[in-house]
Amino acid sequence: MSTQEIKKKYPKEILQAKDLKGLDLVWKKYLGRKGEINKILKNLKKLSGKERINLGKEVNQLKKEIAEKIEKKKRILEKKIFKVAVKKEQVDVTAPGKKFPQGYLHPLTQIIREVEEIFQSLGFLVAEGPEIETEYYNFDALNVPENHPARDLWDTFWLRGSQKIPNSKFKTRLLLRTHTTSVDIRYMEKNNPPLRIIVPGRIFRHEATDASHDIQFYQLDGLMVDKDISVANFKAIIEIFFQKFFKRPIKMRLRPSFFPFTEPSFEVDIDCLVCQGKGCSICSGTGWIEVIGAGMVHPAIFRAAGLNPKNWQGFAFGMGIDRLAMMKYKINDIRLFYGGDLRFLNQF
Amino acid sequence: MKFSYSWLQEYIREKLPKPKKLAELLTMHSFEVGEVHPVKSSKAGAKQFNGVEKMGPARIATRSVAGGKDWLLDIDILPNRSDCFSHTGICRDIAAITNSRFQIPDSRFQIPDSRFQNSLKIEIKDKELCPRYTARVITNVKIASSPKWIQERLKICGLKPINNIVDILNYVMLEMGQPLHAFDLNKIESVSFKSQTPNPKQIPNSKFQIPNKPKTIIIRRARLGEKIITLDGEKHNLDEDILVIADLKNLLAIAGIKGGKKAEIDKKTKNIVIESANFDPVSIYKASRKLNLRTDASLRFEHKLDPNLTELAINRAVSLIQELAGGEAREIVDFYPKKVLPKKIKLDLNYIEKLLGVKISRKEIIKILKSLDFKTIQYLKSNIQYLIVEVPTFRLDISIPEDLIEEIGRIYGYENILACSPLVYLSPPKVNEKVIYRNKIKDILVDLGFSEIYNYSFLSQKDVEIYRLKEVLELENPISEKQKYLRPSLIPNLLKNSKENSKYFKETKIFEIGKIYSSSFSPPHQNFGSGGKEKEKLAGVIFQKGIKGERLFYEMKGIVDSLLNQLGIANIQYDDYFKNEGWENEIFHPQKTAQIRIDGDFIGWLGEISPFITKTLDFKEPIVVLEIDIEKLIKYAREEKIYLPPSKYPALIRDLAILVPRGTKVAEVLNEINSRGGPLIRDIDLFDTYEGENIPEGMKNLAFHFVYQSDDRTLTDKEVDEIQKKIVWELENELGWQIRK
Repeated sequence: MSTQEIKKKYPKEILQAKDLKGLDLVWKKYLGRKGEINKILKNLKKLSGKERINLGKEVNQLKKEIAEKIEKKKRILEKKIFKVAVKKEQVDVTAPGKKFPQGYLHPLTQIIREVEEIFQSLGFLVAEGPEIETEYYNFDALNVPENHPARDLWDTFWLRGSQKIPNSKFKTRLLLRTHTTSVDIRYMEKNNPPLRIIVPGRIFRHEATDASHDIQFYQLDGLMVDKDISVANFKAIIEIFFQKFFKRPIKMRLRPSFFPFTEPSFEVDIDCLVCQGKGCSICSGTGWIEVIGAGMVHPAIFRAAGLNPKNWQGFAFGMGIDRLAMMKYKINDIRLFYGGDLRFLNQF
Repeated sequence: MKFSYSWLQEYIREKLPKPKKLAELLTMHSFEVGEVHPVKSSKAGAKQFNGVEKMGPARIATRSVAGGKDWLLDIDILPNRSDCFSHTGICRDIAAITNSRFQIPDSRFQIPDSRFQNSLKIEIKDKELCPRYTARVITNVKIASSPKWIQERLKICGLKPINNIVDILNYVMLEMGQPLHAFDLNKIESVSFKSQTPNPKQIPNSKFQIPNKPKTIIIRRARLGEKIITLDGEKHNLDEDILVIADLKNLLAIAGIKGGKKAEIDKKTKNIVIESANFDPVSIYKASRKLNLRTDASLRFEHKLDPNLTELAINRAVSLIQELAGGEAREIVDFYPKKVLPKKIKLDLNYIEKLLGVKISRKEIIKILKSLDFKTIQYLKSNIQYLIVEVPTFRLDISIPEDLIEEIGRIYGYENILACSPLVYLSPPKVNEKVIYRNKIKDILVDLGFSEIYNYSFLSQKDVEIYRLKEVLELENPISEKQKYLRPSLIPNLLKNSKENSKYFKETKIFEIGKIYSSSFSPPHQNFGSGGKEKEKLAGVIFQKGIKGERLFYEMKGIVDSLLNQLGIANIQYDDYFKNEGWENEIFHPQKTAQIRIDGDFIGWLGEISPFITKTLDFKEPIVVLEIDIEKLIKYAREEKIYLPPSKYPALIRDLAILVPRGTKVAEVLNEINSRGGPLIRDIDLFDTYEGENIPEGMKNLAFHFVYQSDDRTLTDKEVDEIQKKIVWELENELGWQIRK
């Protein structure tokens, strides 16, 4: 075939190729090893100089054209094939995805972290202490003497076989701490004010269990001591904490209370999250929920920690972390936290 | 404690706020008020009540709520306010809060007839335990039911009416806070020379025997083995820690707690002794707990009462008895050697503002203190303004300036103190490394698919037996058998969790970080006893239904590697299990357990639970656990990362399968290869371990990927093949291992 003939024929043949196989035949016919283009090129050396150059140029140009057009057609055909093939394939988007093993942090860990972050942003340091505590640090140093009705505020688990040394300032009778307030004394013995600490931790109470009481739970104690820390300062810090924690403006009130380690002492109520203070079953119709026991550090506590009460004043507070978690997640049974049931825990 | 609204009104001259409003005011300024609800008195009660009103039991205008309707207020009296375990006590606070006038109940009665004297002797054996004992004899009383209005009020406050004398005494207790008791005078033993040959043991102090046969009341400690039958018919065994009221022969009452049957008031009683005493609070507290007997009297005494109250209360009682039961009062007998006088406290006015964070005027401060019956004198000394405050003796809770500031603060109202941010020096917050790392460990494990568990710190008797736990700390007063011991390991409870969750999940990965306890941990410091008996541990458990073999072990090992690597810990080493003294011997499979070491330091265990335990716990599959010491983990954890830049040149991979004796450790094989391969071996990966079919008995097949790479050039196939050939030759010829080609 001459170049003229090729030029005339090949577009028609490409057009007529119905599938990739047909198109491949066209490619072989023109561009294959024994194809028309090669045939012309083989004969090229028989031609004279100028003629050879001109024809060579023309053939190469033609070769490029054919290749391009075949390629173009190929893409069209392939698209058609994929179109058909794609129609046959399908995923069920409603079928479940592959399950990856996933772990979950315990809800109390999450609450403790949140609380710690807020207080750390206010300059408080996280302090810790032992769960098995001495009678001295848990009670005596906190101005709760033996055989005093104030002790009845904390039902206590005692350890078997630990003996008290009579007349010793530090009694060795051991117990499971009933609050993390014991750490306040331990911390102040080793660190001089000004200081700001929070003490989260596990505590124990010897009492009958029900949906809102358990024999172990978590408490967060806080302590801020400086030259002139006041009740007004306490109100400010706690208000900031609750607004950050519940992410809403809160109403708060202080009521008088009694704790042997604070004077004055008060209880802090915040407006009920559920009814916004209107009164419901959660807040027993009062519109308020008790969240914190607090007060100004009693001079006896400073003395027990070896500090001069004339030089320092501050506030201390304690709140139940389980209770905060129950309020935040609307959990109605405290015992769920310690049951190890993944059907519960894997929802947080 | 239950209070009657109409009764409270009796001691306030102005009209009280409505019950709910009153409850709210008390809650905000004094004590939390729980229940507030109306109570309907019976018609007879109401009528009688109105009738009495004219006569005036307290000779004051009583305003009853219309139609005999009353309200009950359940007030949560704070334990330091023993002065408020009574209606008058609460009313003092109400008067201060509502700015109204408080009036004490009237206690006038007919002057005793002086012809009758010395009919009663009081003998106090232990003055420490009984600072005051006031008694009065009344003769010729007429025992009957008490009037309905008294009965109604007692009932509202939760007391059962008995007879007029007992009811009046209870009434006065609820009114003034002083527990009172009455004995039948005729039932008290008097000494007569002919009839009595007293046992000298029983009457140690015989000089008090008086010829004219007076009745003698003795206040002494009980003797070990002495018994008393109380008014409710219960028998109690006593000892020296318990104070009793006795006559020369019998026990009449457990002091401050409960009366005895012996001198009980009954229908025939004519002559009575009324006791109004003050007892040592600690003694009453201990005795009441020892006897497991808590009464309205013991509650008040153990919170400490004002000794000056006994006389006021007994006079009030005599006045009511004369009015409602007749009789003639006799001389008062009063043992009160150390009179308690009002305390004086110096109160710096500036300190009030400094502590409360609000400026309250001097005038206001004085007004508040006065409204609570405090007396004040003002001083001004070198520009410091202060008050000398005289504290009434019934305010036993007030002893330091801070106590007074609380009084001022609560009456002024905490709602009137505005929040104000503290002014402090800016300092970068210190961080607690332990908290940071603990959080990091938790996050890593959660990323590895573990869920966090919080278990109870306790174990049961059965757990202790199953795991043969030793040196376990035991509770002196457990709640139940199931929670009797303190856990010396986190594993038993985690295994229970796995078992329970296996009902719902095919696979569980759980962990816990918490304290474990043991008596074997170093004993507490002589003085401080801090944390000597506990350690913080991390434990994890993997369970997978239907799994066989050692796959889980290697999964857990991979988890430990990953955890330690992410904590920046290198130089991890796993050693064979060693037998030791602890509980681990029972819990672990000795052939499938590793010690985890960092820089040679033992930090914990990783291994399969012993088949004996899995069988006992009814698991069908092997279970793998880990327990690591948190303190040590944190000690070795590092924040900094060390990195090597990735090579720019391509890596070449060669595979090699080696047949080695079964006991050969992978670590040994790797060491042998590394020592022969030289620096161009970048990494060797074990990708298969096989023994069984087609493998000679006693042998196992280990298959490795070798990764060859250089940092400065592209390696050729030829040079890599040469190294590989050298390794193979040496392994075969020097070690006798067989290379599978």
